[in-house]
Amino acid sequence: MQNIQLKESLYEGQKIHHPKTWLTKYIFSQDHKTVATQYFFLSLLTGVVGVILSIVMRLQLGFPGVFDISPDTYYQSITMHGMIMVIYLLTAILLGGFGNYLIPLMLGARDMAFPFVNMMSVHFYALSVLLLFTSYLVPGGPTGAGWTLYPPQVLLPGTPGYDWGIVMMILSIAVFIIAFTMGGLNYVTTVLQSRARGMSLMRMPLVIWCIFLATVIGLLAFPALLVAGIMLLLDRLIGSSFFMPDIFQFGQHVTNVFGTEYEGGSPLLFQHLFWFFGHPEVYIVALPMFGIVSELISCHARKNIFGYKMMVWALIVITAISFIVWAHHMFVAGMNPVLGFFFATTTLIIAIPTAIKVYNWVLTLWKGDIHMTVPMHYAVGFIFTFIIGGLGGLFLGNVSVDVELSDTYFVVGHFHVVMGISPILAMCGGVHHWFPLITGRTMNNFLGKIHFWGTFSGAYLIYIPMHYLGLGGILRRYYDFQGLAYVSDSLKDMNIFITLASIVVGLIQFIFLFNIIWSYFKGKKVGKNPWKATTLEWQTTTMPPGHGNWPNNLPVVHRWPYDYSVPGASEDYIPQNVPINLDTSGENSNE
Amino acid sequence: MIEEKFFKHPSFFPKTKPDKSHPIKLYLFAWLALFILSAMSYYVDYINLEGLIRWFLITILALMKAGLIVSVFMHLAWERVALIFTILLPPIFLILMLAIFANEGNAINVIRTTFN
Amino acid sequence: MNDLVKDWSSDVSTFKIRWSKAMMWIFLISDTFIFGTFLISYMAIRLTVVDSWPDTSQVFALHIGGTEVPLLLIAIMTFILISSSGTMAIAVNAANKKDKKKSGLFMLLTIIGGIAFVSMQAFEWTKLIIDEGIRPWGNDFGSQQFGSFFFMITGFHGLHVLIGVIYLSIVSKRLLAGRYERIDDYQIVEVAGLYWHFVDLVWVFIFAFFYLW
Repeated sequence: MQNIQLKESLYEGQKIHHPKTWLTKYIFSQDHKTVATQYFFLSLLTGVVGVILSIVMRLQLGFPGVFDISPDTYYQSITMHGMIMVIYLLTAILLGGFGNYLIPLMLGARDMAFPFVNMMSVHFYALSVLLLFTSYLVPGGPTGAGWTLYPPQVLLPGTPGYDWGIVMMILSIAVFIIAFTMGGLNYVTTVLQSRARGMSLMRMPLVIWCIFLATVIGLLAFPALLVAGIMLLLDRLIGSSFFMPDIFQFGQHVTNVFGTEYEGGSPLLFQHLFWFFGHPEVYIVALPMFGIVSELISCHARKNIFGYKMMVWALIVITAISFIVWAHHMFVAGMNPVLGFFFATTTLIIAIPTAIKVYNWVLTLWKGDIHMTVPMHYAVGFIFTFIIGGLGGLFLGNVSVDVELSDTYFVVGHFHVVMGISPILAMCGGVHHWFPLITGRTMNNFLGKIHFWGTFSGAYLIYIPMHYLGLGGILRRYYDFQGLAYVSDSLKDMNIFITLASIVVGLIQFIFLFNIIWSYFKGKKVGKNPWKATTLEWQTTTMPPGHGNWPNNLPVVHRWPYDYSVPGASEDYIPQNVPINLDTSGENSNE
Repeated sequence: MIEEKFFKHPSFFPKTKPDKSHPIKLYLFAWLALFILSAMSYYVDYINLEGLIRWFLITILALMKAGLIVSVFMHLAWERVALIFTILLPPIFLILMLAIFANEGNAINVIRTTFN
Repeated sequence: MNDLVKDWSSDVSTFKIRWSKAMMWIFLISDTFIFGTFLISYMAIRLTVVDSWPDTSQVFALHIGGTEVPLLLIAIMTFILISSSGTMAIAVNAANKKDKKKSGLFMLLTIIGGIAFVSMQAFEWTKLIIDEGIRPWGNDFGSQQFGSFFFMITGFHGLHVLIGVIYLSIVSKRLLAGRYERIDDYQIVEVAGLYWHFVDLVWVFIFAFFYLW
């Protein structure tokens, strides 16, 4: 053992750890592919819980009082649903799942730069999920303050989980942030330091750019959440008043855990800190989506991404601007109104690079040799839903309109389309696309198309009507609307319709999960590179790639990743590691 | 005997020459400078300066000390430009955060004192 | 600038440094955001409170021989931490020259400095909690948030120093046992040094903005 350790540290090359036991192969694996699969399974399981929670919420909203759902249960469901979906499902699956699998393979590396840290990150993630669900076991249940956990309500009696639920929630988030930091450092170091020969940054596939920049955003944004969480935890546990102001409840000055009164804190500071994290967080989710879609569109339309350089620069600009738009979530919070002007401007500016990306995807499809495979369905569906959802954001970004629409179902509709439907479409497209690589079999196309059309319709059946609800004045996070005179019967009927649609669409999601499991065992086996893609992960010798990814030498990259339909080439794609003079002179390729 | 395969990755041997070792004098000089700057910061408080001059001196002395530690002790002055930029640019977001939070904090104070 | 473009457009690696050093730098950027956010939140709250903010020169003064010397303990702590940073830099310098004994010695001096710092911080906490009665939820000197910010910020900084002491102990033990001499690779000392200098860097800002401002 001593000998191996000495040799190990002599080379900075990936220390490929050959596991021998079942435990080291499947539980404590340091292989990035296994770690990625672990992330996938854990986050999908958590996501199933999130879907169930959303059905609970919808049942209450569509049929108030019928299902015996108490207000406490309702608010706890909202909070857990939000936190699970945004952080434990989307961030984990897009960065942990796709990132871990694709980064070393697409860069021509054998594994991540620090495989041990990679393994630790997924175990910390598992711990954070465990802590999250432990909040159902503590007295009082989970916190019911909404996923934004705003003080002072989150610590006041009356809010479910104000005593212990919030403690478990913050602990869970803190552990998740540790997991994310470990994974994130790994990704950034791997992308910047251990690419294959010939792979410059501008020859990386767009999905790697996206995941890399999303990780950078995360490393800079999660600290704000950690600090806010620590200060909130201290307010609860040691009676400090970082966020708790001089507040009276039922005529009594609210006291902390030690019996002294809260005074002098600033709830607005929490909101600033939370949204300093919260807005970049949605870009952490959005950027990998963009990347997956870019890969799907170029591969399945047999055409290079239109404007690769602009796509990269748009991503970098989005990354930078995402840090200066946060207070558009706070236009009605009572902050200094002057700041509203600043943040509205930056919010509208960030729409520009995002729009550039959308134009480029459409232009990639233009006159392309489009194969309407299941991944292509998902990619095109993504473009539709992202545009529709994004347009809602244009309204909300303006302060004057936001004052009316804030905290209504207009906002709920907007973010569910861009953060709910679009990521699902992108993710499922990605899973379909890379399934042959991971397992050597294809997924069932028929089931895939059913799932696609069901989910895609969901955007229009469930969430577009929510925009109307919002305009009609239906407010979010309300347990029910009984006794509110301005809520007409038609709005209530709309709620029923949305509930029924969401149940159907929610059940359709299980078709996708079934498809994964069924195809893993019974799917049609395929040979190497069934989609005829150019990127490096498809150029491994076996599907799935073996341990160490490339058995002999690491690949050497000669061209950019989008040499599709190059004029004069013998096939309609040229893999990245094919030398330049071997197949045309690469007229279309970059550099 | 566990078989471990180790693959020498091309990035292991950086193409640049490793930095020449610096003489100890450099670090002693930096340490002395830090000591003097710290003493000056302490002095600002000792003589009870107030107001803008106090805040300006505290900040500028702290930034100078930070600059010394980062550039000399952490060796950044001799690293490649790419690394220097990568490390020095993200804190700009912190500066912006500081400005916005200061603005907000001030506004809240005004509201609290006006409407108390 | 030419180098900048060349590095960013090169293949294989952008930063021509070891992976462990790159990862440590990126971790330090992230940790900078944590402490930066702590200090900015401190600024934000201090701006908003209407109660007066305690005078740190009074709160942190030491009684020496009948006179009250303001901020004496803090000055000593600053001196010790900066010196430990200096000894660490010399240790890194020696390690680069492959001088195992000198590097190990100076690392031990650094560790002693770190332990001294944490002990003095613990002493200060004890003095403030027991003698002055400062609690996270209130104190006699002024605004309630003073105590909570003090304990939180110095607590997290002290925790980082403690982790650094443990980290340096492990590295120096391995160094003196000859592990790095055998494989002829001393880079880990530099990586550990980066972390230690970062801890000192944070203290510079805490000293300036919490104790002096």
